[in-house]
Amino acid sequence: MTDATQLHALRGRRILIAKPGLDGHDVGAKVIALALRDAGAEVIYTGLRKSPEYIARVAVEEGVDAVGLSVLSGSHRELVADTVNYLRRAGATGVRVFVGGTIPAEDLEYLRSLGVRGIYTSAMPLDDVVASVAQALAEQTT
Amino acid sequence: MSSAPRSPLDRAALGRMLTRIANAGGRAALHELIEPPARGARRIGITGAPGTGKSTLMRCLAAASLAQGRRVGVVAVDPSSPYSHGAILGDRIRMGEVVGHPEFYFRSLASRSAHDGLADNLADILCAMEQHDFDELLVETVGVGQAELAVRALVDCVVLVLMPESGDQVQAMKAGVLEISDVFVVNKADLPGAGQIAAQVGDVVGLRRYEAGQWVPPVILASQHDAASHQAVAKAIEAYFAWRRNRNNETACRRARAAYHAQSLIHQRIEELLAELPSATFDLPLREVHRRLVTRLSADLDASIPPTQEAYVDVR
Repeated sequence: MTDATQLHALRGRRILIAKPGLDGHDVGAKVIALALRDAGAEVIYTGLRKSPEYIARVAVEEGVDAVGLSVLSGSHRELVADTVNYLRRAGATGVRVFVGGTIPAEDLEYLRSLGVRGIYTSAMPLDDVVASVAQALAEQTT
Repeated sequence: MSSAPRSPLDRAALGRMLTRIANAGGRAALHELIEPPARGARRIGITGAPGTGKSTLMRCLAAASLAQGRRVGVVAVDPSSPYSHGAILGDRIRMGEVVGHPEFYFRSLASRSAHDGLADNLADILCAMEQHDFDELLVETVGVGQAELAVRALVDCVVLVLMPESGDQVQAMKAGVLEISDVFVVNKADLPGAGQIAAQVGDVVGLRRYEAGQWVPPVILASQHDAASHQAVAKAIEAYFAWRRNRNNETACRRARAAYHAQSLIHQRIEELLAELPSATFDLPLREVHRRLVTRLSADLDASIPPTQEAYVDVR
């Protein structure tokens, strides 16, 4: 049984889970969305095949604390870079970006250099993902 | 529609503002209330049981208003989990093409401590949106049953969405949400039984006694696949607003909003205070629990909170 602090680690946080690009596999995105909800977060899901520009618009419109991008198509380098750029252009200051999907080890450094705060693959236990997101968001407010 | 030149919609500023308001605790919100602007938006509430097609209807109404040159804002409320406090806010998915429109703004909200079909601090959220020159605000409630009537106080026009096979529901709704609605939409009219529901609602509405000049709510059959039916709903809403303009009930409307605003703030505050009480408190006699709660609530009167410091501080 999880203790109360872990259970509500994300209480009051707003998180956008988005699927940029063309891949049509959203099981992972939905599993993450439910795990974040169960940790207390308010999760907005965009649906499939959204453009980086649209995702940035939703992020500012919804006033989210974080954006989680799920990419399984292999285009994560371009899609994440584009989304980060559009977020900056849309005035989304302080919004944390996370990435999930099939991300080869050699791309981790590049994604981090774009400002991505957490990169999660299917091998990572859900509790660890939630804890990592919660920690990154807690750092933001201090 | 002729609209005066207005400033472009600042999505980032409004987005941040609404997050701050939504996160305000009952006390903080009281210290930084949002003043309603002189010219408010016309407000339309869309309510009804889960799965009746509220979001889809809202998309069609928003598209119609955008086509007329209006700036349209949507607030869609989904329920918060009573256990984790989390929520999945999924109404945006049904908005289709309109989400890309430059004069369209969509905000998802979790109900948080509200149990009335709306969300905490919604009264202030709507006023904050009105400061951004919206012509129309659409409010989608949580999927409701019979008793979630609060939307009546915050909007000008209540649209109740029903669907076929909800005959028992109509019976159950006779006293309640059926009484406060201005326009009835029987959605999914391509399914069997729609005409029956429309007739049942028509009976309920028709049996009421109306004074001369009173609004008689129309009952409209609608379907996702029938664009003309959405035009009929939009027309009924226009007719309602035309009727309302000649009616001069602004004072009553303002008072109802103020009463709801006060009630929702106090409700939220009591939920907070209840959560703060040690759980063993509830072993005490009810009178004692009540006394402690009221004492704590009264203490708010003496606590001076400089707005710059505590207002809209996160309650997490």
